[in-house]
Amino acid sequence: MKLSYKWLNEYIDLSDITPYELADKMTTAGLEVEGVEPMAQGTNLVIGEVLECVDHPDSDHLHVTQTRVGDEVLQIVCGAPNCRKGLKVIVALNGAELPGGKITTKPVRGQESNGMLCSLMELGVDKHWLSEVQLSGIEELPEDAPVGERNVFAYLGLDDTILDVSLTPNRADCNAMWNMAKEVGAILHKEVHWPDYEGKSHVGEPTNFKVVLETEKCPTFYGKVVNHVKVGPTPKWMVNYLHAAGINSINNVVDISNFVMLETGQPLHYYDYSKLPKGDITVVDDREMKMVALDGEEFEIQKGDILITTGGEATGIAGIMGGEESMIDENTKGIFIEAANFDAVSIRKTSLRLNLITEAAQHFTKGVEPLAMQKAMDRSVQLLKEYAEADGFEETIIVGKKDYEPKVVKETLSHCNELLGTNFSMDQVTDVLSALDFKPEVNGEEITCHIPSYRTDIERSADIDEEVIRLIGFDSLETTLPLMSATVGQLSPIQRLRRKTREIMCSFNLHEIITYTLVNDAYIENALLPLGKAVALAMPMSEARKYVRTSLMNSVLECAQYNEAHQSSNNHFYEISKVYAEGDEEERLAILLDGKLQDDPLHKQTLIADFYTLKGMIISFLEKCGYQEGRVHINPNSKDTEHFHPYRSAEVWLDKTCLGVFGEIHPEYAKKFDLNHVLYAELSLDGLLASKASKVRFKPLERYPSVSRDIAFVVKKEVSAKEILDAIHKAGSKMIQSTEIFDIYEGEHVEEGYKSVALRIIYQASDHTLTDNEIQESHNAVLKNLESKVKAQLRS
Amino acid sequence: MIEKITQVQEEALSEIEKADNVESLQQLRITYLGKKGKIQELMSLMRDLSKEEKPAFGQKVNICKDEVTKALEAKQEVLSKGALSSKLEKEKIDITLAGNKMTLGTIHPLILIQQEIEDLFVGMGYKVAEGPEVEKDYYNFELANIPHDHPARDMQDTFYINPETLLRTHTTAIQMRELEKAHGELPIKLICPGKVYRRDDDDATHSHQFTQCEGLVVGEHITLADLKGTLKYMADVMFGEGRQVRFRPSYFPFTEPSVEVDVSCPFCNGKGCNVCKGSGWIEILGAGMVHPRVLEMNGFDSRKCSGFAFGVGLERVAMLKYGIDDIRNFYINDVRFLETFNRFD
Repeated sequence: MKLSYKWLNEYIDLSDITPYELADKMTTAGLEVEGVEPMAQGTNLVIGEVLECVDHPDSDHLHVTQTRVGDEVLQIVCGAPNCRKGLKVIVALNGAELPGGKITTKPVRGQESNGMLCSLMELGVDKHWLSEVQLSGIEELPEDAPVGERNVFAYLGLDDTILDVSLTPNRADCNAMWNMAKEVGAILHKEVHWPDYEGKSHVGEPTNFKVVLETEKCPTFYGKVVNHVKVGPTPKWMVNYLHAAGINSINNVVDISNFVMLETGQPLHYYDYSKLPKGDITVVDDREMKMVALDGEEFEIQKGDILITTGGEATGIAGIMGGEESMIDENTKGIFIEAANFDAVSIRKTSLRLNLITEAAQHFTKGVEPLAMQKAMDRSVQLLKEYAEADGFEETIIVGKKDYEPKVVKETLSHCNELLGTNFSMDQVTDVLSALDFKPEVNGEEITCHIPSYRTDIERSADIDEEVIRLIGFDSLETTLPLMSATVGQLSPIQRLRRKTREIMCSFNLHEIITYTLVNDAYIENALLPLGKAVALAMPMSEARKYVRTSLMNSVLECAQYNEAHQSSNNHFYEISKVYAEGDEEERLAILLDGKLQDDPLHKQTLIADFYTLKGMIISFLEKCGYQEGRVHINPNSKDTEHFHPYRSAEVWLDKTCLGVFGEIHPEYAKKFDLNHVLYAELSLDGLLASKASKVRFKPLERYPSVSRDIAFVVKKEVSAKEILDAIHKAGSKMIQSTEIFDIYEGEHVEEGYKSVALRIIYQASDHTLTDNEIQESHNAVLKNLESKVKAQLRS
Repeated sequence: MIEKITQVQEEALSEIEKADNVESLQQLRITYLGKKGKIQELMSLMRDLSKEEKPAFGQKVNICKDEVTKALEAKQEVLSKGALSSKLEKEKIDITLAGNKMTLGTIHPLILIQQEIEDLFVGMGYKVAEGPEVEKDYYNFELANIPHDHPARDMQDTFYINPETLLRTHTTAIQMRELEKAHGELPIKLICPGKVYRRDDDDATHSHQFTQCEGLVVGEHITLADLKGTLKYMADVMFGEGRQVRFRPSYFPFTEPSVEVDVSCPFCNGKGCNVCKGSGWIEILGAGMVHPRVLEMNGFDSRKCSGFAFGVGLERVAMLKYGIDDIRNFYINDVRFLETFNRFD
């Protein structure tokens, strides 16, 4: 809200407080002032008269003037095209400080110039208020302007400062000047005087005018016929106040309607009475049509929009803008005043759809207080009489709901202090409430407040408490901690799992990323193990952000793509995030490896991430989380071979649950992200939590020595490591402590289609030292099994 | 004859003294102590001595042998020490070369801050609550005292999925779920961090997705002063010890009174600097006493209990704390950005 300091001063004596001090106090009390702007700026100004104006001898556009400023005549060079003899002008004297800089006496192309003739723009007046003429030259003052007058801004009505107040939605009442004055009065502990408006509309003859409400969206309508008005110029002070609020002046009658709206918060509409020949107004909301509003634009009216009609024809978009047809102009002789209440939601919808965000619509949308219609009608009559020679009044027509029950809210001193944690006295509290015009009545502990009609935000005791602390000041609060029974604070299982996961991923040298939840069509179509049907936004802001993602893969690949494009070739990421589908959600872990995981040529330690790197990470991640290798199964990928390399990817199973898929991204798919050879895994953390982690159990340390035996053999290439290890373990010896393949070789000296395998078996018993015989017996069984189960040809 | 012994001994000791490597010392050992060595030779001279002379001579030779052996061992020790140190010297490396790269991964800065806040509140007996990001209008707005057509819905332009479902615009939705779940049981002490979404165009200071952490306490005799005290600790955790907090009146539909919370600027300690734009304070939190209607809608007797709630945007905290100038950095995940957070703070 744009608040005029000068206008406010009409209601409260502000002589001892500057606009800047006022802004600070208002901000502290919750009415945040975002800017303080003088309407015009400049020192050392005076009103002058151009006595003589001749062309500058050395310029095609400059003039040399002799300008009288009081008793003195100064030579001033001026470049404005409208500079001429006899003009009354604003003169900035030597030493004047203007927004554009300081004015000093100096020659202009050889001609002495002792100041500057000013335009209003040069004095910092908002361009918005200036006409073409004013923008293109110096300001032309009226002929009767007092030459020598030094208080130029007061003469022009520009001696004002505008406070830009950001109101919270609960304080829409302060959009009305009168209510704002009450609020400022409470902040400053000063008396507030509203104009003597009450009862001024209780005049007039009986009326035949008919108002009918055919929609619930207009609960109340105040109307009044004024048979005679004189349309003419608006008093200067009113124009200035309208300007301060950001409203253009049109004529006295229209300006009064806007001025009263600014005072009371009630949007008004004045119709040219002669354009309502049927003497009726009906409010409807069931029309579909086109109509031209008073800005000359045509609007498409839909069912649901509230319309004002007369004789069956539309004559205004209710609460937003009147029709062109019934507009007030210089020929208007009589008017009909409308002060009505329209449904805020409906007004907001219509004004947004028509892109017609008028001052009236904004007032309705933010809410109008219940007594505003009466106040606005009274004030309209008062000002129309005073400034538009209004006469021939008919009685006020009131249709719809009229009752207003003043609100009474009770609070006790102890409850107030208890909620705030303060120790205020009854006097402190009632002082604040009196300043707010809440008329507090004290009965022992209890305070009964009578809430003014415009404070629609005050409904219960907590609202009273807020007013008390807000106006006494929050600095009076101490800092304490809640006193209450002890509670256990701890993280939940999933929260702990996330923390463990991060710790482990950090130790693998991966960076955590957070990517956007909302994704495009392609990401949904190409989701990895999508959780289900994607949740779609009703009204997305862009094609890129249409769905809630069902998998993390594409967002993570996009991140790798970005970093590759920014000259980072080794990118290793993890992300922990929920994915969503209709009626479902799941917490997932994504891992992406791209490039070298270790890159240290100096010490010859380079680890290029491949399938086995990722597999190793997953196995040790699961092991660290309490799921030992025996419970984890890596199976061929049957879930998604579209996005994965069909022969270099696998499923991860924990007990009987598939946690997800990992492996090399399909080269064709990687190409879409300008990547190649990128490894990716996406696992369900919820799935992990659903299985119980194994407990840590200490096993007594082995006391007897172990014996290792190496075996080398050749098998067909397609025989898997798992088949070989199964063959060994199925030999059944309890003495086999561990088996490890330490070499695989294909190529020279090995027959085509075969591979050479070398492995080491560790034999050990927990209760005695193994004898050669025992080991040999067991080892022979192993060898036999290798030969029979995987057709191993032993090498010696 | 006796002189002969003395002569051999002196000669041996002198040569041992001169020996400068293990090999020549070994040669001297053979020369003097070997089976055919000079001392053995002396022993063989005994044959020619009388019975009376023999014991004295033998004794002398033994003394000589002991002396030489001792000298050899002493010298041996000296020489082998020297050999080791010269061997070590040959093993000299350039300690100024870079060490092996032992880099560790990182945790996202938003999570770092979230974890710090979690740890503070868990330590004070709070639980960490969570809820769905695809949320019901009922929890996001209705229960939070923001009915349909409430002007505050404009403040949070919402991604709707259908009229009943939306992407949560604040983690207040989690608070409402927890209040409802409590069925009027007191006390409630929780914080609720999480992702939230609003219809904003992404730019340096706006993001359609961001992270909030809210807190909620409901119990008997909970006061606004308790809120101030609690937030003071939170400010210390976020920005370092010694912060002060200041309340300014504000408006949120789910709290009454509502406040904006300023924290004394951690960069200038309140003197005024670029970060706080000269004011000495940075605006960081929204908070207030839980609106009695919110308590009642969730089945609590607002005359018998009270509560406070607060909320903070983690991006804003991280941006202030680490001097990050563009909110998009958190979601672009440039490796250079992420690597900034590779150490404890």
